[in-house]
This record gives sequence, structure tokens and C-alpha cells, in this order.
Amino acid sequence: MKPIFVALILAALAIGTAGTRASAQEQDNMSPAEHKRLFREGAQLWPVYCNTCHNARPGSEKAPYEWDQIMMHMRTLGNLPPDDAKAILEYLKTR
Amino acid sequence: MRQMREERKRDREEIRSLEGKVRQLESKDSRVETTTQQLQSTDQKLKETTLELQQTNLKVQTLQTKVDAPIASSQFGDAVQQYLGSHSFTVTGAAGGDFIYDQQSGALDDLHHASQNSFFFDWEPMILYRPADWILFEGVLSTAFGSSGTGVDLSLADFQIFLNKYMTVVAGLFDQPFGDWYENQSPMWVNRFVTAPLPFGVEPVVPPAELGVQLRGGMQFGALGQDLDYTAWVGNGPSFTSPVLGAIVTSPTAVANSQTNGKSFGGRFRIYPLPVDTEWGRLELGASTYNGKWANGNWFNSWGVDFNYFVGNLQTRGEWLSSYRQMPNGQASDNRQGWYVQAGYFLTGLKVPGLPDVINNYLRRFEPLVRYSGVNQRGVSIDDIQSATGVGLGGTQVGLVPDFGINGSPATYAPHSREVALGLDYWIAPSIVWQNEFDIELPQAGGVFVSSTGAQTPVGSVPNDHAFLSEFTIGF
Repeated sequence: MKPIFVALILAALAIGTAGTRASAQEQDNMSPAEHKRLFREGAQLWPVYCNTCHNARPGSEKAPYEWDQIMMHMRTLGNLPPDDAKAILEYLKTR
Repeated sequence: MRQMREERKRDREEIRSLEGKVRQLESKDSRVETTTQQLQSTDQKLKETTLELQQTNLKVQTLQTKVDAPIASSQFGDAVQQYLGSHSFTVTGAAGGDFIYDQQSGALDDLHHASQNSFFFDWEPMILYRPADWILFEGVLSTAFGSSGTGVDLSLADFQIFLNKYMTVVAGLFDQPFGDWYENQSPMWVNRFVTAPLPFGVEPVVPPAELGVQLRGGMQFGALGQDLDYTAWVGNGPSFTSPVLGAIVTSPTAVANSQTNGKSFGGRFRIYPLPVDTEWGRLELGASTYNGKWANGNWFNSWGVDFNYFVGNLQTRGEWLSSYRQMPNGQASDNRQGWYVQAGYFLTGLKVPGLPDVINNYLRRFEPLVRYSGVNQRGVSIDDIQSATGVGLGGTQVGLVPDFGINGSPATYAPHSREVALGLDYWIAPSIVWQNEFDIELPQAGGVFVSSTGAQTPVGSVPNDHAFLSEFTIGF
């Protein structure tokens, strides 16, 4: 593989890993008010984004830890904006 | 004088005696002071120890209270998560059973007549494994009981690495991100019909899967809901059953065998222009392209556009796609086009006057549907039509017999196939549905049959078949 491709991959991984750590930290440090804001936004997005492809499924169908994984899958499949995916996840986990 | 000396001597002895007593008293006093200090120190230590004991007792009482108290519901999830560990599995997917009645009014030239009615079953579990919040693995097994026996196949297996907010890497075997069908609409409980539209059915215009690497992501560009997204990928490239006109693109498992030097490159772009807080509904507009070399040196180019719009109870979607295949040995190119449009309307909220509520409650669960689809190509491979590849292969399947999600009609293999599908779905739950479909095959004349040697013969008359399919599906 050409060195330029290796350098690009390493740079992308470095940027990506830093970003991921930051986002996980942000989620851990969210205030109750931020949780409420996300819930309200998720409640607005859930019927629209999910129904674009299939019937929106209620949060009570799955355990919160399962939604963590399913929303990662759906974020990729639907190319969802990350903040919107986070809001829908908050809504689904709160049920 | 003498008496005075004796008195003085006695005085001195008395003074010495008194001084000794004083020294003894001073010594005793010193010991008393030391003892007093020791006692004070011991007393202080006793007080401190008592305080520590009181604090410890308080802590024990607090902990005991916490242990005795029932866990709050808000803490239960975290407790379960902690118990399960940071690595977690989830099984999702779909299962379905269907009945197909296929009335083949006539055979294609020189091909057998295979009207039949049969039951089929398909189970497609998807395993999600999440080692951390930046990586996910997913795999789908397709298992089926069908017209050719049982079959098991790995139809999806990939890693998803979330690099940052706007970049996700997907690596492995994945559904072709071309258009909306393969990625988003092909799961049996998501597809509103039992069968796939013709361009994605027995004669697909673009390969259904790819083995390679994707980079993808999405972002908001305006108000909430106004999004755009991209997908770019490189893969092993397309492969075909034979180097003749009309040969079909291979099944998902066969992409692993497409290990040629000509890689494929694809791109997809979508935009959602309508904000969610308006009453205008949700509109998706997309464009895709997929290009590469097949058999090490011949070009395959394809592109397509698609839309999806829903508002209230109405949902519509459609795609148009076109492909060009450069043929070896100076043969004319193999060009294909396909399209479909469909619409469905949920009867939610319907209340027919005069009918009891119990009947209206049933009626509200129905969704009538209609779909029109077609494919145009100059020729089709007769070998592909005659050879059945079995079931459970998760994608392209051929043969003139029905199979899970395929009505098996010869008319669907015609070079200019057309199909009107009427559907009536009964939704028991958001992911549990009883689907009914009536297919009216209306192929147009023209085109050729192509043998394995490349010899071409006109197709001749093509039967206008009908088929009825009924399927019970659950997405879990």
C-alpha cells in the first residue's frame, strides 16, 4: 500500500478516535436539562426518521442496552446525523 | 559556744532532711504531672476513637439503608448494564412464512410449465455485537425452507467503525448501497410487498451485494430534519454467471469469488429538504452510481435516481436505474434499465359509518398498496432461467418455480418484463404484518434468449401470468 494511503488512514483514525472519546465524555456529563431537551427532540424525530423506511417501533420493544446497538446499526444504515441519532436513542431508551 | 555548735549542726541536719523531703516531693509531683499528661492524652485518643466509631456507625447505617431500599427505576438500566458488561450482543432480524399460488398460463419457448402452490419459510437473524461505543459488528444469516430444500447463507457480515461525527467506515460483506432497495427496503418486514420490484428481483440491474470498504455519514444543513448524507465505497467488483449477453449478476455470496484486478467504485448522495416541524411530510431524493471492471477488463457502469415521500397515511417511493456492461470479443454491449413506483395508504383513523367499532378497529389496520415495475434488456440467459440455485441465498435466485418472496413466473424473466402488483397488508403491530399480494404479469414482446455459447434466438410469445402470495412476517 502506498505510504500516502497509510498516512491518510492513520490520520483519519486519530481524528476519529479523539472525536469518539469526546462524544462519550459529553454524554456522560449531560445535565438533566440536556437529557430533557434530547428527549423532546427525539420524540419529534422518531416518527419521521423511522417511518422513512419502516414503521417506527416503540422503545418498550427492546431493552435500553439493545437500543444502544440497534441505533448504532441504524445510524450507519440511514446515515443519520449523529446528534439526531443521539436524540432518538434518548427517546427510545426513556420509553 | 559548744552548745551553739551542736544546735547549728542539728539545724543543718534538719535542713538537709527537709531538703531531701522537698526533693522527694518534687519528684513525686513530677511523676504526678507525667501521669496526668498521659491520662489527658489517653482521654483525647479515646474521644477521637469514639468519634470515629460514631462516624463508622453512621456510614454503616447509611449503607444498610441503601442496601435495604429498592433500586430506583432510573438506576435499574445502569445496574443491568453494569451486570451485563461493556461487551454486549443483540439478536434482531426477521422471520416469515409464505404461501404462493402461481398460475403460469403458458411456458416460455422450450421451457417447462411449472404452475404450483406451496408453502415456504425463511428466518434471517441479525447479530449485533458492540465491544465499545465506537465499533459495531453485524452479521445476518439467511436460512430457508423452499422449493429446492433448505439453505443457509451468510448474507451480511461487516464492521462499523465510527471515526467521528461525520465519518463511519464499514468493512466486510454488505448490501449494495445503490439506491434504497438493497440496503433499506429488502428486509421482509420492511418491504410492503412479498416480492421485490422487478429491477431488484430475478433479473437485477445492479449487483445486490459487495465485499469491500465504505466511508459514509450524514449531517444537518438547515432546520431540524433538513439533512444530507453520502456513501462512497470500493469493492471486489461485479461478476456475472457467464460472459454472454443477458447473464445475471451473481448472488451476494458470489461477490467473494469476484477477485479480479478490476475493483468497483460507488457513490451515493441523498438529501432531505423538508424540515420536520412543518406539515409537508418527509421527502428523500437520492442519486447513486456504481462502476467497475468485471472479468479483469470489461467495464460495468450504472447509475440511478430514487425518491421517497410520505405525509400522513400516504407513502410513495420509486427508483429508476440503468446499467451498461462492456462485452468481450466484440459483442454488442449489454444495457439494462429498470424502474418501479409504489404507493400505499394506511387506513389508520378510518371510521366507516354504520359499522360497529369492532369492525372499524380491524379495518384501520389495513394498508392497500399498488406497485408498477419493469425491466428492459436486449436478452436473457436461458441457462440462468433453467438452473435453480436453491434457497436461502439472500438475494438473486433463479428458476421457474416459486420460492420465498419469488413468484417464479416465466414472465418475470422476459427481456421486457412488466408487473403490476396489488397489495393488502394487515398490520398486527409495527413490525408484525400479514401481507397479501396479487401479481399481474404484463411482459412486452421483443428480446432474445441467449445460450451458454452466445447463440441468440427470439423470445417469441410470453405468457401473461398471475400469482397470489400471502406472507406472515415478523421483524424482531
